[in-house]
Amino acid sequence: MTLRTKTALVLLAIVSTTAVSLSYSQDKFRLKPGAKGKVCLTCHESFKEKLKLPFLHTPVKAGDCSDCHNPHTSSHGKLLSENVNRICFSCHGGIVPEKARSVHKVVVEGNCVKCHDPHGAKNKNNLLQAGNALCSGCHQRLAKEVAGNKFKHNPVEKGCLNCHTPHASAKALSLLKSDVPALCVACHKPDAPAFGKQHMGYPVAKSNCSSCHDPHGSGSRGILWGIPHQPVANKMCNQCHLDPSSPDALKTRKAGYELCRGCHNTKMNEILGGNRIHWPVVDKMSCQNCHRPHASRENALLKEPQLPLCGKCHGDTIERLDKSLVKHKPAQEGSCTKCHMPHSSNNVLLLDNTSPINLCGTCHDWQKHSTHPIGEKAVDKRNRNVTMDCSSCHAPHGSEHKRFMWFDVKRELCEQCHEQYKR
Amino acid sequence: MRNALKYMFFASMSLAVVAVSHAAEPLKFKMMAPIYVDGKGAGIKQPEGVSCRGNALVVADTGNGRLLRYTIAGDNWTPSGEIVLPQLPFPIRVDVNSKGEIFALDGKSRRIVRVGASGDFLGYVVPAGDVQGAVVPRSFRIDRNDNLYLLDVYSARVLVMDPSGKIQREIPFPKDHGFFSDLSVDEGGNILLLDSVGKRVFRIAKNSREIAPLSESLKEDVYFPAAIATGRQGTIFLVDQNGSGIVILGPDGSFRGRRLSMGWKDGFLRYPAQMCVTENGTAFIADRGNNRVDGFVVTE
Repeated sequence: MTLRTKTALVLLAIVSTTAVSLSYSQDKFRLKPGAKGKVCLTCHESFKEKLKLPFLHTPVKAGDCSDCHNPHTSSHGKLLSENVNRICFSCHGGIVPEKARSVHKVVVEGNCVKCHDPHGAKNKNNLLQAGNALCSGCHQRLAKEVAGNKFKHNPVEKGCLNCHTPHASAKALSLLKSDVPALCVACHKPDAPAFGKQHMGYPVAKSNCSSCHDPHGSGSRGILWGIPHQPVANKMCNQCHLDPSSPDALKTRKAGYELCRGCHNTKMNEILGGNRIHWPVVDKMSCQNCHRPHASRENALLKEPQLPLCGKCHGDTIERLDKSLVKHKPAQEGSCTKCHMPHSSNNVLLLDNTSPINLCGTCHDWQKHSTHPIGEKAVDKRNRNVTMDCSSCHAPHGSEHKRFMWFDVKRELCEQCHEQYKR
Repeated sequence: MRNALKYMFFASMSLAVVAVSHAAEPLKFKMMAPIYVDGKGAGIKQPEGVSCRGNALVVADTGNGRLLRYTIAGDNWTPSGEIVLPQLPFPIRVDVNSKGEIFALDGKSRRIVRVGASGDFLGYVVPAGDVQGAVVPRSFRIDRNDNLYLLDVYSARVLVMDPSGKIQREIPFPKDHGFFSDLSVDEGGNILLLDSVGKRVFRIAKNSREIAPLSESLKEDVYFPAAIATGRQGTIFLVDQNGSGIVILGPDGSFRGRRLSMGWKDGFLRYPAQMCVTENGTAFIADRGNNRVDGFVVTE
């Protein structure tokens, strides 16, 4: 046998094996001739109506029910041949790019059915609803805000997919089609005279547009975020930035808190005069650690609500709060500044009052009731240098015990000091 | 050759056994009598700083706006005076040099005050030489040769100064970090930086200008580390302020264990602020929430 004949025989064997396995996979359940696409409908009659929908999932259209379902038995609900959160990825695996910078939460969770009907739908791509209505189903707060906005951003009205990708984005965060400002300047031409005029001649073509503008629309002209910094609202950019004609126009006139001091001098003096400073105030980023310099949706131009903002550095406290079975209401609601001074304080833990008792008293009317001895004259039996206050028994953020006590109130708590009653 | 291989095998095996036994047996903290009062019997209030060198112990009695000095003799301590200065109304970090001079960071003015061995004000620490930008010290440390290491959070750098205040090195913070709260210098002259937010320790090798991470994130082992100290054989101690405990790391930054816990009684901590370790292994902790300084004999 020549080498050529041998090679031909090996190739023939490979081709025939592949053909057999292919035919098996195409009809792995060995249906009777002509049964494909019909046999399931003999029982699932109502499904015939579904088949009349304008958009059908490809296997449904081809009558390949067994592509997703096992007709005999399965370990998964609805006789699916794979876990409901993974089955779609067996065909649509490439939906998330390899180095995606952002992925839609429902895709991560495999909750494809939150947006798509696996069989068929009235909308393209088997979507449950058309257009923005689908996104609004989950993003209700945003949808409500968009509907109420006086100044609309046109692409938002036309469809979320003008700026966002639905599954994942390889190019940008927040599922954006590309990074800001590239995304924005595709429509808003920075070299247009009106653009320059609106931005007071500052070279903002490479700046982060969403530092000032709410991309979803706003109640303010120019779709500025709801709470603009006064110089921004007054178009007085040069109060903080160098003159627009200077070569480094976007550079700020001063660094760190010295810049903010220009207007907020009294506030800054008050902050810097405190015995205990919140150290980020005096670092390189200074005020911008917590505040947005141009505009924000949060009061006091905060970058985000207090709980996630404070949690960026004090994640351990937020984590412990999450795990606490009984939570102190202000902590739970993220009102950190109800008890703590955010910039500086003369008190330990940046508390808003020298006396922890008086601090608690601003909300709790304990003074009206009889209490366990507390105050300067009530020395803690556990430590002669400490006097009794509310935090002697209560964990101020929360705990696993009733009324957020440090210890179990039935025995352990009182026994801390009253050891003679220990059983 | 065969003998050499045998020797190497046994040497590596013994090292492995030592390493395993070391890892399995973290340091123990044996409680000494805590320090509650000054020489006149007045109570300490919210101490945030503590430093020990030789038999001298200095406490930043922050809540009372003063420095307190003690003399350590074995497991005992005796008060040896207080220092009250108008330039230092709110001491929060403290260290001592070889001449017995005290350096203290004032929380209110955010300046480092230099105090003579007799308790008189000698001036502020001002970096000499070509220093760009403002300096806001968050912490500082003095090494055996009286060089001063300053953690400057405003200009995001570490400044190393010789005893005369002249800048020797300026090391910028790395891009990827949370917030540096403290620094320490180990026996080998390496600088250790504590990232309280990233919960990591960074290291600057002796004479280097590069900051490199020494440990992985210690998120699982520590809540909010606020201060760092080094002990014998390069052991690193992290003062876990919010976790009210001490986390022990090996010289390579590996987690070795956790000691002490939250409470009011002797031997417990509440929001500890700073820690120092003497040459013979005694640790003192400024126990802010408990208004005292806790002493522990650290043993293998």
